[in-house]
Amino acid sequence: MADGATELIVETQHLTKIYGNRQIALNDVSLTIEPGSVLGLLGPNGAGKTTFLRLVLGLHRPTAGWAKAFGRTMTPNSADLRRRIGYIPTNPQFPRGMTPITYLDYIARLFGLPADVRKPRLATLIRAVDLLPHSGDPIAHFTPGMTARLAVAASLINEPDLLIWDEPTHGLDIEARRSMLELIKTLAAEKTLILSSHNLTDVDEVCNHAAVLNKGQLIFHGSLQDLKGRIKKNHYELDLDGEQKAITRAVAALRALPDVKQVVLRQRRLDVKLGDDSPNTALLAQLFGILNDQKVTVISVRTVGVQTEQAYLELVEKEESRGFARLYRDAEAA
Amino acid sequence: MEAQPPVVTVRFNKFLPYWAVLRTDLRQTVRGWVYRLWVLMTAVAAGGFLVYRVGLHREAGLVQSAAAQCGDLFRLLVVGSMALVVVLAVSAVGAERGTVADSVLSRGISRHQYFLAKLHARLAAVVCTFAGLATLVLLAGYFLFRADAETDLSVAGGLVAVVGVCAVLAAVVSWGVTVGALTNGTVLGITVFWLVLYGAGFLLTLVPESYPSPDRELARLRFVLAGQYNPGLLWDVVIGSGVLCGLAAAVGLVGFARRDV
Repeated sequence: MADGATELIVETQHLTKIYGNRQIALNDVSLTIEPGSVLGLLGPNGAGKTTFLRLVLGLHRPTAGWAKAFGRTMTPNSADLRRRIGYIPTNPQFPRGMTPITYLDYIARLFGLPADVRKPRLATLIRAVDLLPHSGDPIAHFTPGMTARLAVAASLINEPDLLIWDEPTHGLDIEARRSMLELIKTLAAEKTLILSSHNLTDVDEVCNHAAVLNKGQLIFHGSLQDLKGRIKKNHYELDLDGEQKAITRAVAALRALPDVKQVVLRQRRLDVKLGDDSPNTALLAQLFGILNDQKVTVISVRTVGVQTEQAYLELVEKEESRGFARLYRDAEAA
Repeated sequence: MEAQPPVVTVRFNKFLPYWAVLRTDLRQTVRGWVYRLWVLMTAVAAGGFLVYRVGLHREAGLVQSAAAQCGDLFRLLVVGSMALVVVLAVSAVGAERGTVADSVLSRGISRHQYFLAKLHARLAAVVCTFAGLATLVLLAGYFLFRADAETDLSVAGGLVAVVGVCAVLAAVVSWGVTVGALTNGTVLGITVFWLVLYGAGFLLTLVPESYPSPDRELARLRFVLAGQYNPGLLWDVVIGSGVLCGLAAAVGLVGFARRDV
């Protein structure tokens, strides 16, 4: 486990990767990941997410800057650091002719785990990921869901402190995806996770921090709340119950409020848009007061749209439109 | 109140990753189509050659020295094997880059251990297989041409020939694995190594006879098999190959640790 509560799990400074003087994959990325974080690594295709993960793992060597894991610089020979990391690549590949038992035994040996430790662990993991009936079958015949579960087991066999999962829900059906997200939530209680994902709904559900990469540059790094806080849509949707006349009266009263930009009633669903600069708590208090006066019951309240997705898209769009102003990162960007 | 689970301190075995890769690679190599093709082609070529020579010997009455016949066969095997041995060696690291290597090198193994395990696995697979096949060929030659083998084929000469060729093969495999680890693609690595190997072999045939060339050394195998060899030369070959192997390993270790996978 981590040595101390303050020890940074991952730290990068000016991390830059240029492939063969032809492609700039990562450009001056500096970030820190604290213990207990579940970091969602976001970005469009080719943004440098996988390159970043490979640099953190020591699979690639940085062109400039450095990446530290557990306080020590990661290099291709840092086997002892990688013993504390569990990794799942985007499309995990397995050596030919292996079964889940032989594969997990092989991976455990790669971590240097002695037989009395690795054998019970691999048996427990095979059971945990529901591969017990297929434990002797060749991996080559596995479905994507089974392959993903095996990759999860392989990433946990060394009981790592840090999990790096590159697109863990990629190619999974709904059931397998749900199961994966639940597993991530469980693991998040005791481990630090870095999840690279295209699926912002997944990130929204399981992550507490986010890092957004665009064209190799880090354009945001902070808590998910900070990312969402960057957009203030003040757009709400309420499902109501009560007499239709009472609801209509409430709508009329709401429309009379000065800072309410829009009130639309569709049957019993109320769509309310508040002014961007208005303090929403006071306005919402007024809104609920009016509904209470008219004896209208609120069944559900939700913000409109997936906020993380909106925030992400706005960030990327803003970054694209900055032109040469990108040079002055500190003044404008996140 | 629940009892606290005991804290288990795991003692990592630092050499286990090396052994894991070595064992797995040996198993994968032996199951691979290149290795099977090599063994099959060698067995078929050797069998066909021996049957043909025995036919000539017994039916046509063309008597030739057993050492000369086995020497020719040895030469055929070495030249024929070289192409596939290069493929086996270069693909050791190269073929896994970006796919399987990801899921291996992202675990608790250093680049040095991985490279050495791959190198040793391919060395063991190629050298042991060739030594085994060559010994079988010599034994078959001994029994099939027994009439003159008693006076012609020498056990010590056979041993020297096998050791000498295996030493050269070891050097080829070492440089093949290194080339595979340092080039960006397996096909590129194989092409480069074939060109270097066969190109150098051809160029060396053009130098004066006082200098050694693969072609001339292979032609001399018939004399070695008959027991006419210089022990000092064998040591030179073994030591020279050892130096080349060590050099290849050093270049590969340093180079591979500095490359992206």
